[in-house]
Amino acid sequence: MNAPRVLYHMARADFLERVRRYSFLLTLAGALYLAYAVATEKLRIVVGHGYRGVYNSAWIGMLMTVSCSTFLSLVGFYIVKNALQRDTDTRAGRILAATPMRKPFYTLAKAFSNFAVLGCMVLVLMLAALAMQFVLPEARPISLWRLWSPFLLVALPAMFLTASLAILFETLPILRGGVGNVLYFFLWTFGLVLGDKAHVDDPSGIQLLYRSTRAALAAADPSTPEHFNFELTIGGAHAIRTFVWNGIDWTPRVLAARLLWIIIAAALALFASVFFHRFDPEKEWFKRRAKTLPGPSALQVSEQMAASSPAISISAGHLTPLVRTSARLRFLQLVASELRLMLKGQPWWWYTVAAGLLVGELTSPLSAARQGVLLAAWIWPLLVWSQMGCREARYATGSLLFSSERFLTRQLPALWMAGVAVAALTGGGVGLRLFLNADWPGLAAWVSAAMFIPSLALALGIWSSSSIPFEAFYTAWWYIGPAHQMPALDFIGTTLASSRPQAYGFAAAVLLAVAYLGRRIRLGYA
Amino acid sequence: MNLLIDKVSKQYGRHGTLALRDFSLELGTGVLGLLGPNGAGKTTLMSILATITRASQGRVLWNGADAAADPDSLRAVLGFLPQDFGVYPNLNAVEFLEYLAAVKGLDAATSKRRIDELLNLVNLTDVRKRPLGGYSGGMKQRVGIAQALLNDPQLLIVDEPTAGLDPEERVRFRNLLSELSGERIVILSTHIVSDVEATATDIALISQGRLVEHASPEILLQKVEGRVWEWVLPSVELTAARQRYLISNTTRRSDGVHARVLAEAPPAGALPVGPTLEDAYLYCLSQHRAGASA
Repeated sequence: MNAPRVLYHMARADFLERVRRYSFLLTLAGALYLAYAVATEKLRIVVGHGYRGVYNSAWIGMLMTVSCSTFLSLVGFYIVKNALQRDTDTRAGRILAATPMRKPFYTLAKAFSNFAVLGCMVLVLMLAALAMQFVLPEARPISLWRLWSPFLLVALPAMFLTASLAILFETLPILRGGVGNVLYFFLWTFGLVLGDKAHVDDPSGIQLLYRSTRAALAAADPSTPEHFNFELTIGGAHAIRTFVWNGIDWTPRVLAARLLWIIIAAALALFASVFFHRFDPEKEWFKRRAKTLPGPSALQVSEQMAASSPAISISAGHLTPLVRTSARLRFLQLVASELRLMLKGQPWWWYTVAAGLLVGELTSPLSAARQGVLLAAWIWPLLVWSQMGCREARYATGSLLFSSERFLTRQLPALWMAGVAVAALTGGGVGLRLFLNADWPGLAAWVSAAMFIPSLALALGIWSSSSIPFEAFYTAWWYIGPAHQMPALDFIGTTLASSRPQAYGFAAAVLLAVAYLGRRIRLGYA
Repeated sequence: MNLLIDKVSKQYGRHGTLALRDFSLELGTGVLGLLGPNGAGKTTLMSILATITRASQGRVLWNGADAAADPDSLRAVLGFLPQDFGVYPNLNAVEFLEYLAAVKGLDAATSKRRIDELLNLVNLTDVRKRPLGGYSGGMKQRVGIAQALLNDPQLLIVDEPTAGLDPEERVRFRNLLSELSGERIVILSTHIVSDVEATATDIALISQGRLVEHASPEILLQKVEGRVWEWVLPSVELTAARQRYLISNTTRRSDGVHARVLAEAPPAGALPVGPTLEDAYLYCLSQHRAGASA
């Protein structure tokens, strides 16, 4: 077997399958927007006390690379973390499993395919960087090596690591779903902080660029204080002074550090093969769960039925004619069904933690309950909410449901109300105390959040047909906004100063309308 | 009770595949067997009738009302079993059917009784409390059959319903369809001729998006009467015979290969035999293809 050829074709087929989907165009559009944000100085790097580099090849390359390796290493993970899932959904995986394919080949090929997708985005940014140099007047002369070397030696290894981590997360059962999506966000945050604190060459290369620009600025302005800032800002203050930075000195030590990340990435992709189940249906999570339940397996049941059923007397049975009650559509029953569908399948400890948080909401001081316990209580049902609007796509039940009478006007509000009910149940302790204390502003913030969260989940779920966007977006927002009490982004309203109940109430209504529109378009036949 | 399909065409995308072309059919109560080769447009027609997708041209009238203008009037009396569907793996059969019953607007008491009866009907009572994720393909298919009957539909559309069923369950389902057909319209789409042979009161043959034939099984059989022959020939001559004649079936025996030949005039030594619906189906399709290529 020609190993490189097999590897190449496995990665190529997967890559082609991806790039021929509309979602890939959206991904490229995202990369182009990132390039646009850098080119129009919406996104910039400010160092020291209000310094930026002169827009030469090195600085533009570095600017684009930092944007690339920070944003794409986060967003890109969620974009590519569906390689195994796609093979499962398309059932192509079972065909592959019946071939002599080796597991390490498979996971490595999938990592390469992930890398190729992320690499396309890096390529877009490389071309955008070149265009930017032509546009900006202070950017001459052009040095392609200085412009592109950070992409090649910093961004691409970071992308390879992201690609391999995506595969590793997909193969590990516990990290395959929403838990992994949430965990990666904190891992990514930790990675950035670790590089800053430990002064090691982090995968995104920020520390490398930090050291280099710091040395250049210290040479240009000896008054630069010991505590040097290196900030990637969005819409913040513009730099008022410039200095010349001529790029990274690619010493063997620096190159070795970058090579090390490539080796680690490849090792992670190969390590993932240990957990790769080769599409064995027995290893699917729901099968394992079914096995733990009392009673025979599906196969045994079929066999038993075949053995015990009479061979000849196969009657059609009896059905009582229905008395039609179509005039009285049971809306609340549908809400209850949606709620049960959302909560069904959660393990006992999920309910235990939710109940514990509810007790915490009722017993801790109100300010602590709002700023701490409620915060936890409204991240805990993340994976429950993230199924909203995309469950039909995930489980292929759309064809059963969409032909139901008044599906759009009944099921969508019912689903939303079930989502609100989850928020009310998990955060009910704080809501009750705010009501009893007659804290009407606080209660307004609580109500708006309880409506906003499921609205966001529903809109993202319907438009993306996936739980990933909500899991990633909500976690990031929750962390930046409510957890840090950032006024404009604190949708939970953890403090009076940071709460914006009217804004989030309005946003909930808009998102609900967006969800309705999305479902209507998807049905095409409301 | 009347379903009128009036010159329905369906094109996917502006310049895409034309899956249905000027398809017209009028149906009353009974079982219509919709037969056609793969890619003939059966599933597209099913999707249009089930209000999943709109026709590009033409109309579907349910008791005189345009289904495109008021799909809910049709959906209220519709039961649909798609060819491909999924289930929620964490729910058991009862919970899944309760959920679908709520979506279809049935009240709790009616749902409960109906689900009990349906699970008994599809032989899933013993495993009703097991998560659907642990069900075999045939068992999931039976859940699909049960959900299609939840609202006691007047129009029942079943697309490849016996796929994945074992022979016993297939017979049970055929009997069920026959029993149901008295007071409703049942459309059974399949490429398994024996399923249609056992249940259909009418047959529609579809090929390349067009209606080839709509008739009762008896009329279809009459069309091929006197055109089916059994021909015994050495196995080495079979390949050559296939190039000359339309052969619907072959059986190897000690005296050679017994081939069922569909032809106007018999090959030398062939004897006339009684036609089957499979013979009629193949004959009509071959005639249609010959006409289309001419």
